[in-house]
Amino acid sequence: MTAQRFFPFALIMLFALSLANLLFGAVSLSLHDIWQGLFVGSEQHFTVYEYRLPRLFLAILVGAGLALSGALVQGVIRNPLASPDVLGVSHGAGLAAVFYMTYFNGASTEWLPEVALSGGLCAALILWYLCGAHSSAIKLAITGVALAAFWASCIDFLMLTKPLEINNALLWLTGSLWGRSWPQLQALLPWFVLVPFALGLSKYLNVLDLGDDSANSLGVSPQSVRLLSLAIAVALTAACVSVCGPIGFLGLVAPHLTRKLVGGRHQSLLPATMLTGACLLLAADLAARTLAPPIELPAGILTAIIGAPYFLWLLLRMK
Amino acid sequence: MSHLFRSVSLGLFLCLGLLLISWWNLFAWSVVPVSGADVLHAFTSFNDQSIAHRIVLDLRLPRLLTALLVGACLASAGTIMQGLTRNPLAAPSVLGVNAGAALGMALVSTLPFLYGALSTSIAAMLGGGVAWLLVMLLGSAWRVGANEHGRLVLAGVAISALCAALTKAVVIMEEDQAAGVMTWLAGSLADARWQKWQTFWPVASISLIGALGLAPSLNVLQLGEDNARNLGINLLRSKLFGSLLVLMLVGAAISAVGSIGFVGLIVPHIARLMFGQDFRLCLPVAMIIGALLVTLADTLSRAVTYPMETPAGAILALIGAPFFIYLVRKRTL
Amino acid sequence: MLLSVIKRLTTTLCTLMFMSSAYAVTVQDSKGTFTLDHTPQRIVVLEFSFADALASVGVAPIGIADDKDKSRVLPAVQQVIGDWQSVGTRSQPSLEVIASLKPDLIIADISRHESVYDDLQKIAPTLILPSRRETYSDNLKAASIIAKVVGKEQEMTDRLVQHQQFMAHIAQQLPDHAILQFGVARADALFLHTDDSYTGGVIQALGMQTPVSDRDDSAYRQTSLEQLVALNPEYLIVGHYANPSIVDNWSNEPLWTVLTAVQNDHVYRVDPNIWSRCRGILAAEHIANDLLQIFSEQ
Repeated sequence: MTAQRFFPFALIMLFALSLANLLFGAVSLSLHDIWQGLFVGSEQHFTVYEYRLPRLFLAILVGAGLALSGALVQGVIRNPLASPDVLGVSHGAGLAAVFYMTYFNGASTEWLPEVALSGGLCAALILWYLCGAHSSAIKLAITGVALAAFWASCIDFLMLTKPLEINNALLWLTGSLWGRSWPQLQALLPWFVLVPFALGLSKYLNVLDLGDDSANSLGVSPQSVRLLSLAIAVALTAACVSVCGPIGFLGLVAPHLTRKLVGGRHQSLLPATMLTGACLLLAADLAARTLAPPIELPAGILTAIIGAPYFLWLLLRMK
Repeated sequence: MSHLFRSVSLGLFLCLGLLLISWWNLFAWSVVPVSGADVLHAFTSFNDQSIAHRIVLDLRLPRLLTALLVGACLASAGTIMQGLTRNPLAAPSVLGVNAGAALGMALVSTLPFLYGALSTSIAAMLGGGVAWLLVMLLGSAWRVGANEHGRLVLAGVAISALCAALTKAVVIMEEDQAAGVMTWLAGSLADARWQKWQTFWPVASISLIGALGLAPSLNVLQLGEDNARNLGINLLRSKLFGSLLVLMLVGAAISAVGSIGFVGLIVPHIARLMFGQDFRLCLPVAMIIGALLVTLADTLSRAVTYPMETPAGAILALIGAPFFIYLVRKRTL
Repeated sequence: MLLSVIKRLTTTLCTLMFMSSAYAVTVQDSKGTFTLDHTPQRIVVLEFSFADALASVGVAPIGIADDKDKSRVLPAVQQVIGDWQSVGTRSQPSLEVIASLKPDLIIADISRHESVYDDLQKIAPTLILPSRRETYSDNLKAASIIAKVVGKEQEMTDRLVQHQQFMAHIAQQLPDHAILQFGVARADALFLHTDDSYTGGVIQALGMQTPVSDRDDSAYRQTSLEQLVALNPEYLIVGHYANPSIVDNWSNEPLWTVLTAVQNDHVYRVDPNIWSRCRGILAAEHIANDLLQIFSEQ
């Protein structure tokens, strides 16, 4: 599939999935109900306007954000196995959130996103401090992995010494869109100012693929391209994770899938991967709400169950 | 001569340390008062009425022996992995074996239709084996070179993440089970008993002896594949044998106490630092250090949240992860 | 124009009449002051303890977050309230289903549902009270508040008096100051419910004690056989969530026989769901009856 054919197709998918997200759930609505529900005072106002609509927008934003950071990280590290996870951002955010939940359990959950956000950003800063400006991409990735392992072991330690909070913590760590609404959307939206900058970097990311020497001779500083791309990836991941928890595999699978469909040129890859990510998370959240109503599964489980086998298949074919 | 003297005295020192820590492990941080003397009396003049004696013999001794053997198994598995792949970052926990085994175990213990179809230890071994096979295939483990080290680790991380996500999905569906499964996932020796020990030690000791037998071929492998081939070593056979051993070692350890990580990563480095590159020396020393480390962690596991217990694996991870960071930073990748 | 004025006037009048004739009730919940100006008819509860409180005064909720498993609701509560609709899990109840039930009161748990409090408020007035990790006295307090909100204050006062008399009556027939430990056993872990837990509180209300240990900062603690030996309660009551559970495995070990409770044959099995998950007045009475049965069988 070429890029020209991908975009209309993906947009139609996105629209169809959005509509499905509004129509279906524990309670199925008609198109008429949805239209009515947009206005205050109607019967379905809560379900449509206060519940499904913000959740729909959040799924689109978070899916797009995580997928974009995945594509950026893969572009910089130039290893298809890399993902925002290798920067340790989501683990850092998770550690901060779990720490907050276990030691301030009287405190309000309102601050959880802020705590998680600062945890994620701190983790990125520590990685930066450990690696310095001039380390190779692969070294950065491996250090990030080691750091992530450290954060993960701290999370486990916290959860096991305070087993009471384990369920809440696990729920958050799986990533879910449950109970997220307009305020979370409002908190997330400003971060998407970074998206145009990321798209602007695509030309330089293509040059990076040619190797550092060629990049230098073309007047592009590979170091600064890397730094900028990673900084944007970190910020977007931290913001998304702080709102919904670390939703697994999106940042890994979405760029892969898209690369297979539109090729590796970043000018088309980056916007296309955002669409793919949004579609994937929309589908996952739809499934999470409709598989066993009225039980709400965490969307993170669904992305893992959809993403993991696909990823495996992809990896085996890559061989 | 002085080198030999140094090795022998280091070895003696390690054995003495192991003995002392074992003794300490038998009585330290007991909720029911047990003294160091009680431990000795329990062996020399066992009194059926004394609760301290029964605790030492019925709870502590199987726990200590399991800790020793688990440590030896994991450390030798790590040493073999690093020898086979010639990658200093190779270890069961880094290369996805632990995560795979955990997934196998979680699936069997929570999914009703799998319940009883497979024993948990077989499930753990199967899961670990499949995960490792995938990592090896993906990371092109047999190729050697600076970049390949990183590739292998990334493949391990990807497979670990995959297994961990699925494990988490399974666990969270069973909300009530979460704490129990998490404890198991972190690796705890609190439930090591004679009954488990009886099924654990034969597999573990056979694999350990097998590991010692592999040492000479590991030495040859370090010279590079071509040289090894020229020296008449059947590469494929040693690699297959080595991989099988690793699986048996890790599988036995994991099914006995749960998924304990980082021992296999840290210990081979310490052993090499102390005794050089010769696997015939390194491997047994790694076993002793591994045993020492896990026993120490088990003792601390009773101390950290006394009088409750923290899984030993959680404590080892807290020590091991910074070491992993250190290793990564030290190596030029 | 005229029509709309008349309409508005009628609404205002109606509201005024309603306010004066019916009632407005104000209580303190976990988020501050909660006011309700009507007697709620369609109530959704998001924890079992709230359903118990309603059932104690004969009010039936229309929706319960019952983890999609109706058997988790106490049989005594089921008898009173008849059928209800499940609104999903207690940890993540489905807000759509709650909204579709058109409730006029939601009772939520501060520990689990604080993050969706604002959303719940948009569906219906939401009373938010402690439930998870509550103590026995917390539970009775919450029950009184709930009764006041649903307009059954007097009934609840009577019911509580009756409850206390019942508990005192049972307590008389139970041994004084017996040291009794309740725990929930899973396949690979035993959790003891200490003094600070709900069940621990009920046991104290019945004139018995739970064993004291040297560091008591948690209501539920995971326990090994060794720690159990150290606590050594006179009576051990275990709710088994798994079969065989870890306690079943322990009972084959030689060290198990060291326990006083085992030596005197004082180890009992109870329904873990009723003893630890369903908290409330009816649940406490069920526990009391279970204990009475246990001790009279001796």
